[in-house]
Amino acid sequence: MAMGLRLSSELVAGVLVGAGLGWGFDRLLSTSPWGLIVFLLLGFTAGVMNVMRTAGVMAKQSERL
Amino acid sequence: MAADPIHQFEITKLFTIGHIGGQEIAFTNSSAYMFLSVAVISLLMLGTGRQLIPGRMQSVAELSYEFVASTIRSTAGSEGMKFFPLIFSLFMFIMISNFIGIIPYTFTVSSHLIVTVALALVVFFTVLFYGLYKNGLKFFKIFVPSGVPIAILPLVMFIEVLSFFLRPVSHSVRLFANMLAGHIALKVFASFIGMLGALGFLGWAGAVLPLGLTMALTALELLVAFLQAYVFAILTCIYLNDALHPGH
Repeated sequence: MAMGLRLSSELVAGVLVGAGLGWGFDRLLSTSPWGLIVFLLLGFTAGVMNVMRTAGVMAKQSERL
Repeated sequence: MAADPIHQFEITKLFTIGHIGGQEIAFTNSSAYMFLSVAVISLLMLGTGRQLIPGRMQSVAELSYEFVASTIRSTAGSEGMKFFPLIFSLFMFIMISNFIGIIPYTFTVSSHLIVTVALALVVFFTVLFYGLYKNGLKFFKIFVPSGVPIAILPLVMFIEVLSFFLRPVSHSVRLFANMLAGHIALKVFASFIGMLGALGFLGWAGAVLPLGLTMALTALELLVAFLQAYVFAILTCIYLNDALHPGH
């Protein structure tokens, strides 16, 4: 259960932060709705990457140093 | 008796400490329970004796030390023991305050997002500053994957940076959401007992079901209280590992 909660919260955090960033970007630069679209997709990508790192499918960031 | 499941999370002012720039600094029930958790931990760790053959409470204190120490050694290596005080404090504080929160009529400190965000940011900035201090500007290489064509490198780097900044978010929201959802579910099922009981004899017979469920949920919440403290601690170790071990 701990693993499932970890994986799901990584993905949810990614999408939420992406949406938040896009919304703020749109508000500042009045580029609605393009910022939201782009940042939501980028956030989703980052979330999926974190999920894959957590699951051990993908190399951790620290292994690149 | 309309039981409000959100009422348990209400912050009430106990007394005012002072004012900073017109903003009132109040000592709330949340602060009181934080102090209570720290007091319980201090009592457990300091007040249980130093016998060669440990008593019951001394065993608990020694077991919690061994548990956290072996977690750090297995995830961050023996260099991670530098951060033992931080991780042990985080683990014990979250676990004890969660356990206290399960007792009816008490307040759960980690059911407020601001508390868990503060804890997660402490970890985030520790990783960031220690990583920069230890590895210098080479620390930023964690954002640059090797073998990526130069054309899409900026995009990939942006996503990497974004995923680095996502960590404190998922770190804090996980603990907060688990405690909030668990306590609301517990309260809702407990209020079903009272509602069914108001229906007469048949209601009382039916109320056995939510009563059993409430008991089961309380047991589950005990598990979640420990598990979330453990997850918080182990993720702290994993993030610190990034800053500690540049050579992999």
